[in-house]
Amino acid sequence: MDSDSQLVARSQSGDQQAFAELVRRHSGPVFRLALSILGREFVPEAEDVAQEVFLKVHHAIASFRGEAEFGSWIYRITFNQAVNLKARVRFRNPHQDETVLYDAATPEPAPDRRAETAQRDQALAECIRTLPEVYQSALRLYYWFGAGVGEVAELLGIPDNTAKSYLHRARQLLQGRLREKGFFYD
Amino acid sequence: MTKMEPRDTAIDSLLRRSLAGPVPSLAPDFEERLMREVRQTTRAFARYRRILLTCYGLTSVVTSAVVMRGQGLGWEPIAAMILGPLALVAAVPWAWRATHMTMRHHGD
Repeated sequence: MDSDSQLVARSQSGDQQAFAELVRRHSGPVFRLALSILGREFVPEAEDVAQEVFLKVHHAIASFRGEAEFGSWIYRITFNQAVNLKARVRFRNPHQDETVLYDAATPEPAPDRRAETAQRDQALAECIRTLPEVYQSALRLYYWFGAGVGEVAELLGIPDNTAKSYLHRARQLLQGRLREKGFFYD
Repeated sequence: MTKMEPRDTAIDSLLRRSLAGPVPSLAPDFEERLMREVRQTTRAFARYRRILLTCYGLTSVVTSAVVMRGQGLGWEPIAAMILGPLALVAAVPWAWRATHMTMRHHGD
């Protein structure tokens, strides 16, 4: 199987099959990274980001000199593209309320517990949205997609130890913010 | 899995419970749609580049002809000076391809 750099070289000489193979390899991670930044209520937007990223990459592939890994390059473009889009859609209503999606994910509890869980999940979702983009992304990749620290680090273009410390710091911040809202988890 | 302090464990299980959920995936026809878009963009870009080059070439030819004519040159030398470089530009890639093919043929 060809390596990424071989496929990039073939794409640079106009081989569209090679570019399609690069798309096949990286579309999943690119989509997950975009979604981890935008949040689970913006699935169509994450798909748009993935498409724009690959079109940008196709347009700029001739100028890619291979100083960095192709993966790191495309994930950096994805991160910037998703953050820019998020800034544009920040004040728009999502397609679906995030708490509805959280509720769908959890098993049916007793009615009084359900109200408490919904409240807590809503508070948590709001607190997550106040975190810096990289922390939000790291949390969603780790807890929602079940990515390991290595994968979080690769997608965010940071060393493993930095990814660990981002997750640790994000948890600390969340704990503080939930406490401010009257939720205690010590 | 990261090694956690005990006070992190509670928030960790809360995040696990709250964020767990179905993971969406890309539409099955994503790659097909993307490659269609790539082909269209490539074709449009190639057409745009061809139009731009043609316009540039025609403007250069007309400007050169007008300037040389203004200097008092006849049409024959003007034509030779414009068509000569054009023929060279066309011949170089052709000659390079021919040489390359011959060398590859001898290599086999």
